[in-house]
Amino acid sequence: MLEKVKELLRAGEISGFIGLRLQNGHPAPHMFTKDHLDDLGSLLVGDVRYPLNKTLLKVANQYPELIFGVMVRGCDERGLIELFKWNQLKRDRVVPIGVACPQGLAEACECYKPYPAQWLVGEKTEGISKSKRLQKVEAMSQKERLNYWLDEFNKCIKCYGCRDVCPMCFCEVCSLEDRNFILTGKLPPENPTFHLSRAVHMVGRCIDCGLCEEACPSSIPVRTLYKKVNEIVKDYFDYKTGESSEGKSPLNILGEVTLELSDVNK
Amino acid sequence: MQSAAGFEPKIIAFLCNWCSYGGADLAGVSRLQYPANTRTIRVMCTATISPHHILKAFQKGADGVLVGGCHIGDCHYIKGNYMTIKRVAILKDLLRFTGFQEERLYLDWISSAEGVKFAEVIRNFTQKIKELGPSHLRTTYS
Amino acid sequence: MEYKTVLTTCGYCGCGCGIYLEVLDGELVGTLPCKTDSVSQGGLCIKGWNIHEFVNNSDRLTKPLIKKDGQFNEASWDEALDYVASCLKKIKAENGSDSIAFLSSAKCTNEENYLLQKLARAVAGTNNVDHCARL
Repeated sequence: MLEKVKELLRAGEISGFIGLRLQNGHPAPHMFTKDHLDDLGSLLVGDVRYPLNKTLLKVANQYPELIFGVMVRGCDERGLIELFKWNQLKRDRVVPIGVACPQGLAEACECYKPYPAQWLVGEKTEGISKSKRLQKVEAMSQKERLNYWLDEFNKCIKCYGCRDVCPMCFCEVCSLEDRNFILTGKLPPENPTFHLSRAVHMVGRCIDCGLCEEACPSSIPVRTLYKKVNEIVKDYFDYKTGESSEGKSPLNILGEVTLELSDVNK
Repeated sequence: MQSAAGFEPKIIAFLCNWCSYGGADLAGVSRLQYPANTRTIRVMCTATISPHHILKAFQKGADGVLVGGCHIGDCHYIKGNYMTIKRVAILKDLLRFTGFQEERLYLDWISSAEGVKFAEVIRNFTQKIKELGPSHLRTTYS
Repeated sequence: MEYKTVLTTCGYCGCGCGIYLEVLDGELVGTLPCKTDSVSQGGLCIKGWNIHEFVNNSDRLTKPLIKKDGQFNEASWDEALDYVASCLKKIKAENGSDSIAFLSSAKCTNEENYLLQKLARAVAGTNNVDHCARL
């Protein structure tokens, strides 16, 4: 990967490459540029993941005319495809450099496609089609599920970490900060409205990267909730976030009606 | 804690101005009887009902939420109800996954000429919510 | 054009979570948790997530201010410290040592907190020392 990035930077095909760098013994997000090619000596792939798409958004908004390279895993690429559709980034200004995730990471994430369209590092591993996390919750009775989720949401300290780290959350004004909706000055925040509302916002957005759950200081299994949202959208509308560069998410367009009342009021 | 026998549910109904609210008016004018547990909120179109509103209603202790819109093809704004049915479908499945009784959220198309249907929908829904009992959120986490 | 992240420690409380401050062209633009930090392990509270906002905030004090007739006026450090010292002396003489209380902060270092409680106990002569976390 190092050679490819060096070549792209030297040739001026990209103005900067957003990836990870080993700094002070830790992997850190960094943008490599032509002026500091030596930095590439500490370029790192590793297993620790950061929301690099968010960095790309920040830099691209500052320099909309330049072209940037970015390290992408399977999930990051899904994110990029969606960001292009949501008009947050321009397709011809982004050069993704792919990384395929190792078996261990794919299984921990229960990722259905742990590799991008093309990759320079890593080997293709089988995606996981049915999530054990979802199966565990679906096996519970209705009462057990209610208690499980209410107890989990009760741990929330309203740090907004799940939203701040999410590579797909780019809204300038967030409904979760609306004081009429989520009242201020109390913890935990509206149980369960806070999390259910976030889940609804993840329709057509969630790329199943899992950074939200990793960032939660209370270890709430939010990823399970969003995985379920993705499954609901797939079952009802045959839409998988980030799968195709054509076609917008069902809540983003009016489209045609494919559901009957009997599908809804079961 | 109210006993099951004396439980009077609180139901919030979001009704679209052009169809369902008209249907409710017709039911009133026709002197049709139906239980008084429902509080109606008139909206211009069910497409203006965000999942936020429905969640907020439940969070504040509503035992049931009814969304009444125009029939498909009859929406005053052409396709507003297309969004509604998508949103409610997703929200109901999400509520079921998190252990809530998703029958507490009910969607129906009621036109402004269907006063009888409106009264019947309210009667049936109120009965169903009575059987389900008070919303769990009322007693525990609101 | 430069984007880099700087590994540092959040100063808001005694936890000391590891954070990355995002710097774009010399300006602080964001905060990310350090996922490999052994203390915080990638988690941050709401204060930590927004720590980049206060650094260049226009509300920050840049000069000592002394209130006269309800108005804050700029002063030099010497003037301000002389004023504080003379007022505290006066209060101590008129009302006794225990009429003064000292409030410290989790954002200060252990050494700074030690100095403040030394000032309270040895100089002002009171045990009334407390800490912002208890409020």
